[in-house]
Amino acid sequence: MFYLRLFLFTCLSFLFSVGVVINVTANKKENQMILVSAGTFTMGSTIRAADEKPVHKVYLDAYYISKFEVTNAEYYEFWNSLQNDPRESAKDRKKHTPENFTHLLHIGNWPERATEFPDYPVVGVSWHDAKAYAEWKGMRLPTEAEWEKAARGYTDRIWPWGNAMTSNANTSEKNDGYENKIAPVGSYPDGKSFYGAMDMAGNVWEWTADWYSDVYYIHSPKQNPEGPAVGSWRVLRGGSWIDKLTRCSTTFRFYLYPSLKTSFVGFRLAKTAEKTD
Amino acid sequence: MRNCLIILVILLFSLPIPDLIAEKNKHAEYVKHVEQGFLHLFQGNNQGTIDAFESALAIEPEHYEILHYLGMIYADDSSWNKAVEVYQRSINIKPDNIEVLYSLAVVHFKLNQWNDAEKHLKQVITLSPQHARGHEVLGKVYVKLRQYTAAVEILKKSIKLKPNSAGNYNELGNAYLNLKNYPDAIDNFTKAIKYGSPDFADPHFGLGTAYLRSGNREKSKQEMEIYKNLQKQAADHERFTRLTRVDPNNLEGWTGLARVLMHQKKYNRAIPTFQKCIEIGNSQNAPAGAIASYYHGLSQAFINIRYPKLALEPAQKAVQLMPKQDIFYNTLGSVYAMLGDVQNAIAVFQRAVDLNEEHPIYHLNLSKLYKSIGNHKLGNEHYQAYEYFLSQQKKPK
Repeated sequence: MFYLRLFLFTCLSFLFSVGVVINVTANKKENQMILVSAGTFTMGSTIRAADEKPVHKVYLDAYYISKFEVTNAEYYEFWNSLQNDPRESAKDRKKHTPENFTHLLHIGNWPERATEFPDYPVVGVSWHDAKAYAEWKGMRLPTEAEWEKAARGYTDRIWPWGNAMTSNANTSEKNDGYENKIAPVGSYPDGKSFYGAMDMAGNVWEWTADWYSDVYYIHSPKQNPEGPAVGSWRVLRGGSWIDKLTRCSTTFRFYLYPSLKTSFVGFRLAKTAEKTD
Repeated sequence: MRNCLIILVILLFSLPIPDLIAEKNKHAEYVKHVEQGFLHLFQGNNQGTIDAFESALAIEPEHYEILHYLGMIYADDSSWNKAVEVYQRSINIKPDNIEVLYSLAVVHFKLNQWNDAEKHLKQVITLSPQHARGHEVLGKVYVKLRQYTAAVEILKKSIKLKPNSAGNYNELGNAYLNLKNYPDAIDNFTKAIKYGSPDFADPHFGLGTAYLRSGNREKSKQEMEIYKNLQKQAADHERFTRLTRVDPNNLEGWTGLARVLMHQKKYNRAIPTFQKCIEIGNSQNAPAGAIASYYHGLSQAFINIRYPKLALEPAQKAVQLMPKQDIFYNTLGSVYAMLGDVQNAIAVFQRAVDLNEEHPIYHLNLSKLYKSIGNHKLGNEHYQAYEYFLSQQKKPK
């Protein structure tokens, strides 16, 4: 009996030590890239936080932005490719593994959550993870300006859907359908932005490419700004499931250390559109 | 059989050792504390944030980011020495972290340790030459160190980086004042007042001093009077804050604090304060008039930050509780007008006029609304009423 138990335990241990191979058959939504045409838009706000001032016009070349936040299923493909890449060291394979949230059952551990919640936004990823994923896809993270334009369009929308303070987003406010938890991407079709991007308010904060500076808007270039040259924090936009709706406005600027992996931060992708004559 | 045994031995070596499992569990605990810390941080719960981050760092002490956040909360609580300690730990892990160096410099400044502050701020602006806050505090440090020429130079650069900063202009005014350059001191203090918040008292004192030293006693007296009033407001703010800290159910403290915050135009902070007044007022069976005034204040705070939808319910409650109070109808009318509900806005402004027809503003509001819907006759009538009652108010009694 002892030997049988030892054998079973050994087999189980072996399985865990080499990693569980899981099958992610995601019912995932097609994460289309939305074209945001070239042009000038209004960035910032005069009536909210000091770092949103001054309101200024910004010209951006045409670019694409992903319709949804990157999902667990999508990120799993990248992560899985690293696990199977013989060129990667054991350390490097582990490097871009999302954080586990054992205490948050609606998020759970990686990679199991890629199967359990394939259509949920990937969280527990650092800015570096997000950047690595984007590059693996042949894309990049949106700049702060690109993010804001995709959310507010050419208008002065406070939230992506307009100025009405309605529950079109997954926030910490009550009665929005997802109390104290993350929602699958695209759960709020009425909350879509001017360009049709989903969940640009609430659900998860989204990493942008830029460093944060509280006075950047005063000096930023009028065309295709790419953020300050140096900094400690990266800019995040959009608010999350733990934030009040006021922090989910199209202009609200938040920042975190790029190395942090939290349950309320994910990302979406961007790509420069090729110029045509 | 022998091969089986070899395989079994190999498999046994692949067993995850108990230490690894324990480490994994510990990391899960660390993650849980960090997450809780951020939740508390977003909710403005400093003690909860400190407890959570301290617990996280007790498990994994080498996270420079969490150390920085923890230090910021200690600094927010004025626990300066604790802040210095955790910032220093953070810097030991990541020595060139611009924002921790800046945070540490600010705490040294608060502790009057000017030379330490100067050292860290120089590092900040070397690493990040466009760091506006770093330049601003370094300018202040030079003023404290009586190095006024150096202060002028750095503050001018700071103003270039952040043109409308009242703090920069005030410090530059101080530097010029000490260099006995009164015209430039007056110019910069005036700009500090222009760009600063209404409760920024210091430039009024500086301006008063600069006027006095340049021989303009009358203007000096005026500025010193403003300074005294603002100082009194600040003292009230501190007194009421202290009252609410000592006894979190002190309604007088919360009421006074809400009033001062509105006066200082700090609407974002007035909102939770009025909400607290309502909560405590209801639990202590405060008179309906008092509760109505809290709802009214809450509504006005939301109006001022341009959230009319959130202002509507408290404005309606104020009217329900005190249906004879004309000013409450005026506020409710303003909310309806901001929401584009012209018919309801006209109806409640009219009710305000019915209750007190001599208040010019109610007529002005009605006039604007009638004109907006093309009823120029009533619009003009109310405008005339507005002008008439305004002139009556201006007459000496």
